Amino acid sequence: MKVLMKPIKMIALFEKNGLLTPIRYQFINESKENITICIDKVITKAEEKIAGNHMYIYKCKSIINKIEKIYELKYELNSCKWYLYKI
Amino acid sequence: MVRVIKMENKRIIFHVDVNNAFLSWDAAYRIQHGSTIDLRDIPSIVGGNQATRHGIVLAKSIPTKKFNIITGESIWQAKQKCPNLVVVPPNYHLYMQCSSALIKILEEYSDKLQIYSIDECFIDFTKMRQLLGDPLTVANQLKSRIKKELGFTVNIGISSNKLLAKMAGELKKPDLVHTLYPEEIKNKMWILPVEDLFMVGRATTLKLHKLGIYTIGQLAQTDIELLKYTFKKSGIILWNYSNGIENSFIENKKLTNIKSISNSTTMHFDVEDKETAFKVLLSLVETVAMRLRHSGYYCRIISVLIKTSDLHSYSHQKKLVAPLNCTNAIYDILKKLFIDTWKGEPIRLLGIKVSDLTENEFYQFSLFEKSLEKQLKIDSTIDSIRMKYGSKSIFRSCFVWSGLSPLEGGVSEEFTVMSSIL
Repeated sequence: MKVLMKPIKMIALFEKNGLLTPIRYQFINESKENITICIDKVITKAEEKIAGNHMYIYKCKSIINKIEKIYELKYELNSCKWYLYKI
Repeated sequence: MVRVIKMENKRIIFHVDVNNAFLSWDAAYRIQHGSTIDLRDIPSIVGGNQATRHGIVLAKSIPTKKFNIITGESIWQAKQKCPNLVVVPPNYHLYMQCSSALIKILEEYSDKLQIYSIDECFIDFTKMRQLLGDPLTVANQLKSRIKKELGFTVNIGISSNKLLAKMAGELKKPDLVHTLYPEEIKNKMWILPVEDLFMVGRATTLKLHKLGIYTIGQLAQTDIELLKYTFKKSGIILWNYSNGIENSFIENKKLTNIKSISNSTTMHFDVEDKETAFKVLLSLVETVAMRLRHSGYYCRIISVLIKTSDLHSYSHQKKLVAPLNCTNAIYDILKKLFIDTWKGEPIRLLGIKVSDLTENEFYQFSLFEKSLEKQLKIDSTIDSIRMKYGSKSIFRSCFVWSGLSPLEGGVSEEFTVMSSIL
């Protein structure tokens, strides 16, 4: 997996108990096209606090261009920003 | 008395010190945000602004040692020594965040904790030993935990007092645990050069060298009367420290009391007119007054410092009848002070300082001065906007197109970088 750390637009589900699940996201690829990707499965969720900065890391699975891909998303609690971290 | 000393000897103190604090914190944050380069592995420094080449070296990575870059020298000097040097601007907000995260972890290990500076802490582990076990094992676990969870490395020094714990922490870096119990002083501390001892600065080192004292061991074996004669009272402290004698307690105080808040800026051009100088003063007072209010203090002495282009400096101060914390009111006094003292020469540096701080409960309303109620409301609104949306989210219109920064300086009042009192 390659580190990208690209900011993305995200639709996510906030459960009543505070649980956060990413659903679908959009990012701009190299040819400046908007690509929308549905998250088929969240495989793992981890929390990190490197440099005291809290982030959730989601390892997810999606079918992109008919190929199943595993990648990582990051959610920064401080800024409420989503990133496509590794793919 | 004997019993007290015995108890003292049983104390176990940890000194936790972040390796290359500012730089490590920046590096960890950058890696978290996808950077593939670790600032700690390349010649890099934290300080000033790379574009304007303004400012000094605040922290440096280990690879800069090869280029003989010294903390405190100007950025352009460092750049001359190493043209490929990576310069990152300081991010005080991040440093406070890292420091708080570190303290939060340390608090799990003992309730007796002294925040010595932004990147150093003392922990009293004496009673925790029964609960958590062998200090060396716990320190190693703690060190690894900080590295794993927070992404930066620390050195931990273990001993029976704060001085020895601090000296142990400085022994070899980075990412190590050292012990320096009294019985180890001879082998571990006495062999070190005398300038490595806490409290021995450049001036003291020179004086000690003149006395033929080059190692801590030599200092420890010197006649105390000779040291008393040369250094007066601090001679006794030096002798005690070199013998590992220090008995201060872990102060549970979270922060050291502040005595004054100051702020200064070196301009990238010489200021020659009053109006520009006023704007610079305003940009300085914006930050100082905000810090003053944030720490819940009022000031009773306001002073202005002027350094001219030929590096001659002078200052002027005023004691107030009623304590203040309002931006505009402080600014008005600073303007008066400036007019009174400025002799018309080109100015390189302007600085301001507020001191004689009192807390809110002693605030004295004045009968003869205009009410600042409205001003204070505006101040608190502006403060909260800045806290929420960033320091430059709202600023005075006089700074538009002025080429001057609307706010100068950014170090918060909680920011103790160094202290000479254990």
